[in-house]
Amino acid sequence: MMRFMKPHWRKYLGARAPRYTSFPSALHFDEQVTAVDFAARLREISLYEPLSIYVHVPFCRQMCWYCGCSMRVENDYARALRYVDALLLEVSRIGEILNGSGQPLSVHFGGGTPNYLQVDEIARILGAIESSLGLTDSTKLAIELDPRLIRGSDVARLAMLGFGRISIGVQDFDPDVQAAINRIQSFELVENAVGEMRGAGVNDISFDLLFGLPKQTPASFRDTMEKTIALAPDRVAIFGYAHLPAALPRQRLIEESTLPSSDIRIELSELADAMMIAAGYRRIGFDHYAKPDNALARADREGRLRRNFQGFTDDIAETTIAVGASAISEIEGLYAQNAKDLGEYYDRLGRGELATARGLAPSPRERIIGAAIRDLLCRFETEISAVLARVSPHEANAICGRLDALEADGVIEWRGDLIAITEGAGPLARIVAMALDPYENPVCGMTNRPFARAI
Amino acid sequence: MPDDHTKSAEKHCVAPNRPMTCDLCDVRERSICADLNPREFAHVEKTMARRHVAKNKALMAEGEPNESLYIVVDGSFRLSKMLEDGRRQVTGFLFRGDFIGVRSTQSSAYTAEALEDSIVCFFPHRYLDEIAIDSPGVKDRLIARGQTEYHKAQDHIVLLGKKTAEERVLSFIEVIDKTIGADEGAQTRAVPFPMPRQDVADYLGLRLETLSRTLAALKQDGRILELQRRFVVIPKPK
Repeated sequence: MMRFMKPHWRKYLGARAPRYTSFPSALHFDEQVTAVDFAARLREISLYEPLSIYVHVPFCRQMCWYCGCSMRVENDYARALRYVDALLLEVSRIGEILNGSGQPLSVHFGGGTPNYLQVDEIARILGAIESSLGLTDSTKLAIELDPRLIRGSDVARLAMLGFGRISIGVQDFDPDVQAAINRIQSFELVENAVGEMRGAGVNDISFDLLFGLPKQTPASFRDTMEKTIALAPDRVAIFGYAHLPAALPRQRLIEESTLPSSDIRIELSELADAMMIAAGYRRIGFDHYAKPDNALARADREGRLRRNFQGFTDDIAETTIAVGASAISEIEGLYAQNAKDLGEYYDRLGRGELATARGLAPSPRERIIGAAIRDLLCRFETEISAVLARVSPHEANAICGRLDALEADGVIEWRGDLIAITEGAGPLARIVAMALDPYENPVCGMTNRPFARAI
Repeated sequence: MPDDHTKSAEKHCVAPNRPMTCDLCDVRERSICADLNPREFAHVEKTMARRHVAKNKALMAEGEPNESLYIVVDGSFRLSKMLEDGRRQVTGFLFRGDFIGVRSTQSSAYTAEALEDSIVCFFPHRYLDEIAIDSPGVKDRLIARGQTEYHKAQDHIVLLGKKTAEERVLSFIEVIDKTIGADEGAQTRAVPFPMPRQDVADYLGLRLETLSRTLAALKQDGRILELQRRFVVIPKPK
């Protein structure tokens, strides 16, 4: 088994690092960005500009205790139907502003649990997107499914609607671990779901796994990885569980003493990595794996890998239009997040407005830093002269100091104006990104915010 | 990809296949020369050449230089452009009497491919520019009656802005009818669809299944009388 984590790198592993799905992170969003700003940016979208559409479905049947997503447990389907009506209204309002501009390349249904909604509702939402924003047969449709909620002919009907990419929240196959996180789903359930997907011609199946969950051991996680590899998903994302009970009350239901130690976390992550590579998967970014012929692996090989709020992606659209409560749109660098609270989300739409509640318009300087961070995470290298030219001399010194320390530890190397993450140090990419991030290295006064551990 | 057809055709702009007169030109009265005075017409005619474009062949390729103004004399063309992800976006259709290549450019914004065996006439811009010295505005008058790629872009914006699949499909039929539709009896119009359905769907921002369903529904309620692969028959607009 490959041991990629050098002993003197371990000191970085306790450090908490943002996931950098955006820069600055959503924690910096505020109410200065309004629906008016979002609408103004929508009006600037050109006729054939590629769009990535995200639809957020916040409902779940039950609560998984590890989850950090914006979701709510809902038992009354009528309330979900009300939400669908609001989504249709939001899509049509955005369509009126776009007036035919922008061409969706992809539509992604995420959650929460998209298949809390029945296929009829998903079809209606898709129909609204087709009417208001336009869809073609080459638009890529993706959806996240909870295997426990897949009913009868759901998978076949989703495939008929055109969903060619399905991702399943697997997390872990071990029954003890599943009990400890309140997400009990048998291997057979997932196996059946995968079988139905393959049978329906879905050829891009993705699994989400988590390491660092309570009760996980190297032996149990090896078993989870073996079962995963046996089902041969096309992509696998293996995230480190972030235990932040202070910020996420539901995580207080997890017994802290059952969490693996940080040494075990490293072992689990190395084990998973080694098994994925041995099984022929390509490592993508710092937490994704894909079969070599998968679109994500091709994008990575060709240097087209990108990062958005869903993680690493082969989607080339730089503009994301996101609908649903808490969903975050990105247009020309402007982040616009919808109201998280359902009542507020309905109120804003009911008043005839867009649902934007907060957001952030990055400064030119933040955009340069953000681009460098994305490069680091997606390509493991970036040119930092542009960053150094845009920050204050004081900050530039501080950045260079942090990079020098990382270089001394062999995490990065300088190649002219480029810094490159060294072979094997990919899992520390977020730590390197953090070296460029002025907000994570407060000069004075700013408090550290709680983030997930880098490993 | 270099477009050899265009290149070789350019070289032959004053070559033997240049028509001696425009009598053959089906669209002459309707669009090409109607607004030219006899002197201008004589000039323009000398610089014009005719060319056949076989089905599926490109008349003009995106990113390649183009130095001629083309007029569709017969047949039809699909205008498209590549999106960043390598997908093709259908941006319009050209029919008899339509123009493309209104400006000379080092890098065409569109690809124009023949949907059927087609005939175009073309005028090298450098000759048109020479004529313009004596006859200012000749280019504008030449294309005054026809539609150019800019009109097609305008059409597309309008179509994509329609709110429902039905509105988009009906508007599309209306646009085609105005361009190449023909009376079929006293009460009905035959509207040719020289392009594959998939092109129509891509153009309208609809999925093929939605387009088919919408066409079938229009047939059902009588707004389309006859639905064939290559044409539809509609009631004559009032």
